[in-house]
Amino acid sequence: MAPEVQQFDVVIIGGGPGGYAAALYGAAAGLNVGLIERDKVGGTCLQRGCVPAKEFLETAHVRRTLEHASNFGINPGEVTVDFSVSQNRKNEVVDKLTKGLTGLLKGRKVTIFDGTARLDADQVVTVLDGADAGTVLKGTNVVLAAGSVPRTLPGFDIDGVKVVTSDEFLDLTSLPASAAVIGGGAIGCEFASMLSDMGTKVTILEFLPTILAGCDAEVVSVVQRSFKKRGIEVLTGVKATGHKVSTSGVAVSIEGAEDVKVDLVVMSVGRRPRTEGLLGEGTGVQIDERGFVVADSYMRTANPHVYAVGDVVAGTPQLAHVAFAEAIITIKMILGEAAVPVDYDRVPWAIYSNPEVAFCGLTEAGAKEKGYEVVVKKDPFGGNSRAQIIGETEGVVKIIAEKRADGSAGQILGVHMAGPWVTEQLGAGYFAVNWEATAEEAAALIQPHPSLSETFGETLIALAGRGLHVG
Amino acid sequence: MVDVTLPSLGESVTEGIITRWFKQVGDAVARDEPLLEVSTDKVDSELPSPAAGVLVQIIAEEGDTVETGSRVGVIDESATPSTPSSSAASAASPASAPAPTSTRAPAAPTSPVPGVAGLVLSPVVRRILADGLVEASSVRGTGPGGAITRRDAERAVALGPTEEVVVPFTHGQRRMGQHMAASALSAPHGYVAVEVDGAVFDRLDEAGRVTRDGVSVVDEVMVAVAAVRALGEFEFLNASVDGENLLVHRTVNIGFVRAAVDGMLVPVVHAAAGLTVRSLARRVADLEERVASRQLTADDLMGGTFTMVGPLSEHSLASVPLLIQPQVAVLSMGAVRREPVVVTDGGAPTLAVGRRLVLGLTFDHRVCEPYAAARYLERVATLLNGLNVESEL
Repeated sequence: MAPEVQQFDVVIIGGGPGGYAAALYGAAAGLNVGLIERDKVGGTCLQRGCVPAKEFLETAHVRRTLEHASNFGINPGEVTVDFSVSQNRKNEVVDKLTKGLTGLLKGRKVTIFDGTARLDADQVVTVLDGADAGTVLKGTNVVLAAGSVPRTLPGFDIDGVKVVTSDEFLDLTSLPASAAVIGGGAIGCEFASMLSDMGTKVTILEFLPTILAGCDAEVVSVVQRSFKKRGIEVLTGVKATGHKVSTSGVAVSIEGAEDVKVDLVVMSVGRRPRTEGLLGEGTGVQIDERGFVVADSYMRTANPHVYAVGDVVAGTPQLAHVAFAEAIITIKMILGEAAVPVDYDRVPWAIYSNPEVAFCGLTEAGAKEKGYEVVVKKDPFGGNSRAQIIGETEGVVKIIAEKRADGSAGQILGVHMAGPWVTEQLGAGYFAVNWEATAEEAAALIQPHPSLSETFGETLIALAGRGLHVG
Repeated sequence: MVDVTLPSLGESVTEGIITRWFKQVGDAVARDEPLLEVSTDKVDSELPSPAAGVLVQIIAEEGDTVETGSRVGVIDESATPSTPSSSAASAASPASAPAPTSTRAPAAPTSPVPGVAGLVLSPVVRRILADGLVEASSVRGTGPGGAITRRDAERAVALGPTEEVVVPFTHGQRRMGQHMAASALSAPHGYVAVEVDGAVFDRLDEAGRVTRDGVSVVDEVMVAVAAVRALGEFEFLNASVDGENLLVHRTVNIGFVRAAVDGMLVPVVHAAAGLTVRSLARRVADLEERVASRQLTADDLMGGTFTMVGPLSEHSLASVPLLIQPQVAVLSMGAVRREPVVVTDGGAPTLAVGRRLVLGLTFDHRVCEPYAAARYLERVATLLNGLNVESEL
């Protein structure tokens, strides 16, 4: 007997930020939503990505605070680390957030199915495994939100013990004495920073000429200086070709150089879309040569009833907040409402390393590459009163504006920050870039005193022609 | 639970488009309070709520085409509203008026998407456009989804203030436009006007202008009664063209031109031949009430065989309306004026204060010629002044 087909207004494959946001937003509009998730809802971000990683980074922050406590006359005595406690705390945080999200979805009458799903022709979706294996759903519309998994390099065998990706790293209960982080992107730098702050000797191996490729050079050098000061070795332009595991640890082979011997290898060379087996015959959905789903700026695939959001979408940043925005666009499109596409060149980026990095819009190099003549101002956090108070003065705010014919600064093209709590400060810069403010327009607005955000304000004032405290 | 169903919108109408819900789900609604608006190819109508309670479900959304008799929403008579200030919230709903949109072509997408140009304006863009007296709807946006960027705004301001904006036709305008364009192009129009005595209106004034039923009598109704009666002798004007033939109607269904919110409506008084001033006044008053409350159905607008255009303003002299297809004649009248008139009552001509009005007839030149049209108008004038006001009221 053929299984009964369950009909939904929207069937969503994947319960990560893109999928659950589409489910919540769609259900809020009265749509009948079915959501299929092979693990727990929350996806990479909540289960093995942003959220757990930031919990560990916060552990590192607490340790740093204690290390500097004596500067404030507070002597905590010897600081010891029991990483398993932090691991438990992380699990509790994740559990609490997972329960909250599950409750939200249930509260909005989203039907959740357990398993891996495949989309076939006519928007029929079959659950292939898991508790709901064999269930067949049909959606008037389908949203592909299958997400991504860590990539690895040829020559490396992820054993989950000595050689790990972010997936396994976040389950570690103790920290190694030394580690090699392969890939110095956002994730790699977060792991390197956290490990180093927790006392691990860290080496970053980056294939490109610089770590944090895509970030403004000035910001990169702030991070690089800080890493160097804390004893993190940064090797750029190096190609890791494989590894050998021995009783004493792991040796990472480097093309044309000596092996790097460490206790743990963390592979953080990016993420690939999880689209293998996602599509059956005749879906009409297009997949590019790297496995990403092709969608237009309204998240429509080549099949008019199938949308794609989040990390599976080709050519878009793999960020949870971008997935949220794409989910909202998708539901609006399904409802026939007017939707504004994401301006992918101007989304906010946040890296939670120590020091933190946050930016939006064009880098100085990127602006010049696009043919802009630019005016650039930067202001270090060293002169900021709040930064002095909290004792974290490393960092800079850099703003790039288009140069007008008279040489003055016009429209703000990019805002780049490195330093204390900049991930929380980017908001103002994000508005300035996306609202296309000029330096004067943004400089006319006030930042509170004393606050870290004054550094952004000071940079704007200077950019508008004449500095107040800096210049 | 009470179902809200789409009622019959007229005999020939089987479906309507839901153009607007006045209430959101969760809003309280009183019985007979306007609940939704339905558009057909004849008219936009407001549908009153069938019950008092809370709108708990909207089944047919705005823009949906729905067959008459089908469920469009559900009212729970026992529920309490979810939002106390719902009426204020729904009044502010952006669906309240069709905003002008630009002529921008969608940027990249493969098929049309709901336009966003002007939907989201950054504060900077909004200020630049306002300072430059440029309307957002006239600017072609190059940002994502056609959003107007600062550069677009600056370029538009450099070109100067907005000289024109694109305002899409409303439903009513589209209906009126299609009909009138078709009429102007399909029939050769002729027009004749005569100025006639209006002494009967002095007698109407004396009688108090109110019928025994308490309905006030406007000048237009008096003329309409005379026009309908005169059609008995000019049957070919109560007719329609059908290919090579003239269909002469035995029943007079007289339409009255009325301004609608967004165009023109011509509600019809059916079987008007035997009506007195009193009964026609009541029928016209009833139609006007339903025009005002937007309760007209398609039946009210169909079947007209002849049309009447009353005085368009206090000082209107005459008007030259187009034919309502497939009819062949429209009678129009100017305002009834007080004028110095020459009286030759059995002696030398003297001047007196009298009443005058202009009657006009637009006619289909395939059916009627100007002399016949003038004769008809003279006959209307005679019958008008011969009305026994006392007994008619």
